[in-house]
Amino acid sequence: MEFLRVSRNVWGQETILGLSWDLLPIFFWAGIVFAVLHAIYSWLLAGKRK
Amino acid sequence: MTAEQSLPATAGGARRVRHALVDRLFHWFSAGAVVVLLATALLPILGIEFAWVAIHWVTGLILAVLVILHVVRAVFWQNLRSMWISFGDIRDGLAALRSALRMSPGAGRLAGKYSLAQKAIHHAFTVVVLTAIGTGLMMLVKIDTPWWERDPYWVSDDVWAIVYVLHDLTSLCLVTMIIMHVYFAFRPEKLHLLRSMILGWITDGEYDRYYDRSDWHARADRRSADAPTYKHE
Repeated sequence: MEFLRVSRNVWGQETILGLSWDLLPIFFWAGIVFAVLHAIYSWLLAGKRK
Repeated sequence: MTAEQSLPATAGGARRVRHALVDRLFHWFSAGAVVVLLATALLPILGIEFAWVAIHWVTGLILAVLVILHVVRAVFWQNLRSMWISFGDIRDGLAALRSALRMSPGAGRLAGKYSLAQKAIHHAFTVVVLTAIGTGLMMLVKIDTPWWERDPYWVSDDVWAIVYVLHDLTSLCLVTMIIMHVYFAFRPEKLHLLRSMILGWITDGEYDRYYDRSDWHARADRRSADAPTYKHE
């Protein structure tokens, strides 16, 4: 997986264009996984406290 | 979910103002702007092609103006201390965390207007959105606008690389943060907060249950049928 998007300028030098968009699914799923884990933990905790 | 946790208050009763109309408008217009910015940035990457650049930078300017207005209001009309993280907040937050992890029986002290978690996510959004706006404003120099022609050589390629990476990183962080923010907004025990961000108020019962009156003097909502006649700050 690439972390950066790179290109070459008119002098042939490598320039950074930004972060690789391959990272987008990682950030998206990080949020989803956090929410799911928190929901499961809260549900289990609520069950034990009843 | 109990009736008290449902989005609309199921019974009448005294209400307390949590968010004034101007603050709710700021929140929802900012949220809309961020959604438009993320959509115009990320949809083309996902293969949905359209003329996104003009929509993106105009919305970015609108968000910048909204943030400036919010800062002015926070400094001159609101209590900055309500968003400040104190040692007491950290102590109470750790107590709440220990309780959540079942390491201690008590849930700790009630919070003021904002809990440690709310203050933390506000500050995280502050850092990320201000970085996105700052780097976005710099990137405006590289596009033609009604006010200037593009200048791609304003700073060196190395500086542009840092600007691009930071701008992209903020957009990716916002994806994660918005998912978490929306998730917590719809948690059953947080629905009164969502309602207060839509309608502006919480019930007197919620005020007693979730907040420390000595830390947050919420004024009575004059629109509620049996609002107390005494006046809070």
